[in-house]
Amino acid sequence: MAIFSKVYYFNMVTQGHQSEVVIIGAGASGSVAAARLAAAGFEVVCLEQGDWVGPADYMGAQPEAELAWIERWNPDPNARRGMADYPLTGDADVRPVMYNGVGGGLVQWAAMWQPLLASDFRVRTLDGVADDWPISWGDLADAYARVAGDMSVSGLGGDPALPEMNPYPNPPIPIGKIGRVAAEGMDRLGWHWWPGANAIASRRHRSLQACQRRGTCMTGCPENAKATPSLTHWPSAQSAGARLVTGARVMEIPVDKRGRVGGAVYRDRDGVEHFQPAQVVMLAANAVGTARLLLLSASSRFPDGLANSSGLVGRRLMQHPYRTVTVVCEDPLDSWQGPWGQNIYSLEFAETHPDRDFIRGAKWMVMPHGGPMFAVAEYQEAHRHEGFEAVWGANFHRAAAEVFGHSFTWGIQAEDLPEYDNRVLLDPSVHDSSGLPAARIEYRVSENTRRMLDFNVARAVEAAGESGAVTTMVRDVWPTGIGHVLGTTRMGNDPESSVVDRWCRSHDVPNLYVIDGGVFVTGGSANPTATIMANALRVVDHMIETRVSQEVP
Amino acid sequence: MGSSEPTPAQRLTLARLADILVPEGLGMPAATTVGVAGDLLDRSLAAAPSFFEPLLALLDDVPDDGLDAFVRRLEVERPDDFAVLSTTVVAAYYLSEDVRELIGYPGQQPNPLSVAAEPDYLDLLERVYERHPGYRECL
Ligand SMILES: Cc1cc2nc3c(=O)[nH]c(=O)nc-3n(C[C@H](O)[C@H](O)[C@H](O)COP(=O)(O)OP(=O)(O)OC[C@H]3O[C@@H](n4cnc5c(N)ncnc54)[C@H](O)[C@@H]3O)c2cc1C
Ligand code: SF4
Repeated sequence: MAIFSKVYYFNMVTQGHQSEVVIIGAGASGSVAAARLAAAGFEVVCLEQGDWVGPADYMGAQPEAELAWIERWNPDPNARRGMADYPLTGDADVRPVMYNGVGGGLVQWAAMWQPLLASDFRVRTLDGVADDWPISWGDLADAYARVAGDMSVSGLGGDPALPEMNPYPNPPIPIGKIGRVAAEGMDRLGWHWWPGANAIASRRHRSLQACQRRGTCMTGCPENAKATPSLTHWPSAQSAGARLVTGARVMEIPVDKRGRVGGAVYRDRDGVEHFQPAQVVMLAANAVGTARLLLLSASSRFPDGLANSSGLVGRRLMQHPYRTVTVVCEDPLDSWQGPWGQNIYSLEFAETHPDRDFIRGAKWMVMPHGGPMFAVAEYQEAHRHEGFEAVWGANFHRAAAEVFGHSFTWGIQAEDLPEYDNRVLLDPSVHDSSGLPAARIEYRVSENTRRMLDFNVARAVEAAGESGAVTTMVRDVWPTGIGHVLGTTRMGNDPESSVVDRWCRSHDVPNLYVIDGGVFVTGGSANPTATIMANALRVVDHMIETRVSQEVP
Repeated sequence: MGSSEPTPAQRLTLARLADILVPEGLGMPAATTVGVAGDLLDRSLAAAPSFFEPLLALLDDVPDDGLDAFVRRLEVERPDDFAVLSTTVVAAYYLSEDVRELIGYPGQQPNPLSVAAEPDYLDLLERVYERHPGYRECL
């Protein structure tokens, strides 16, 4: 074994059995990699800082489900403050949200399944901004179809705004009354809409049960109907021999004298340090967690952070800044009914248009409002500035009657272009429960994004009018994000301007890969997980094919 | 602190505040009528335990008189405390079975999907096809 520069190697408390691949993070991308590598016969260990969760932990079947969102199932780790969460500090217009545990963000996600546009890979060529990806839509086509199968996606193919795709494995979830009303508005305006694809089973499929429409999807699905890796990937990964260590917070990835990584150092729940040796290290800790870990792994050889000769680790953070237009209608719409994925979506304003004062665009999606507490909270948020009397006292019931069961929301997520100064850093003074520096987030919503959101919100208000809205409630940019974190370890062909190559291997360290959302070159406006998972599958396929030439310590 | 549930005095204070926020009206009962300060409060705090301490501290701080003015000032001057109070009251109110029945809300109940062989929106979708220019070609 090579000699590593870090003392860890010599006085490690416990050292695991050498594996071929160690994956850090059991979220969307890490789970894909573990299942695929194990099926191909690799010895795989996955280190995950959080725990297993399942239906017994989810509160969707309890009347208190809405309150769960505030506390145990708050998507904001700073509010949730679980043992596995690390603090996010800093001055950011939008602060990321995430879930840390087996499944990662896919424990709490809304399961909206949205491939990128073909143009998203060629933004520099087509629109003269940001950068092109080193891969194209076609390079992901096969993987998109395979992961959609693994994730039991329910949807309708044939959307003309996207390249041709294989049919989804399950028929679309009914668009419901809210989808119908929204679609009629779009139809009157001649705008694009399409029934939403969701990784929620519209019928029993593989490991998933049929959706029961509880609508509490984002506090975890109590019916096992929403795709999440503990159902879709880990059973097969583990039966093929993959080992998943939970409560394992990776602190550092040490490097040997030849500049190869040799595994991962982690701290268990009791604070005991371990070393997990491996020939290949795959980072799948999401665009915040991976950047943090690379920065934590600075050494004399990589003084600015592991794999950071480009200086781009942590930079170009993208988050899809988000605004909402809640549409209130006269007719009852049963809008507490789930699933809380996307009933319909629109790509009408997703592409650059020469007549607009911004570049690129936004995706819209229709969602229900959850239970009465959420519906009323939405009203109060929109009317708070009118003072106490507008939302409390005599007006409380009037507001509730107006919105509850009569409204739906157009969520509008903007493509934020990568900015050098939007980034993840190590916090110098705040630490997590293992004593590691917190992730400090610096993020500004750009002028381009603000104009894009203003334009799209104005169009959504127009669409609401055509849907027969009696009123609309518009929210400004959400200060907490929507769980989309991208871009902090971008891929590219040039080692000076990217962190990993087109196969998501570090330019600097030949046995280090990054496979999470950090590798996105630009963010598109699509919900990112379909692409994160498809890309992870593409990369791992390639790694398997080229295993004989893989450099190891 | 130390106590695991609100004292009768704290419940009484909460009840008075709750009825200012959610009074009787439009055929709906006031917060206290459905027991917002009773076991619905306990259920809410069990689901959101981080509210327990700030809520009880706030309730101990409420003056005996001038509650209307106090709540209005709280909203403006101590928004975090107001959020704890108002969220607890609204959450507890909508946990009430009576309230749920009155607003026609069955809860987030299971309600199996029925997937139609042929969705009823195909006519609308046909028109999306007809007018869409197709995606920007750049594979
Ligand atoms: C509330 C919510 C709703 C969402 N809805 C959607 C949606 O509808 N559609 C969509 O496409 N996307 C959605 N997302 C986003 C989606 O969850 C993410 O895109 C996806 O999970 C990212 O995958 P990843 O592999 O990059 O990282 P993650 O899934 O975030 O996984 C990273 C894992 O790494 C672990 N980790 C991090 N650091 C360490 C460390 N030092 N040591 C050990 N383990 C570590 C974490 O605990 C975590 O489990 C949503 C997210 C949230 C939070
Ligand atoms: S609506 Fe469907 S997917 Fe969502 S929580 Fe209920 S059963 Fe699960």
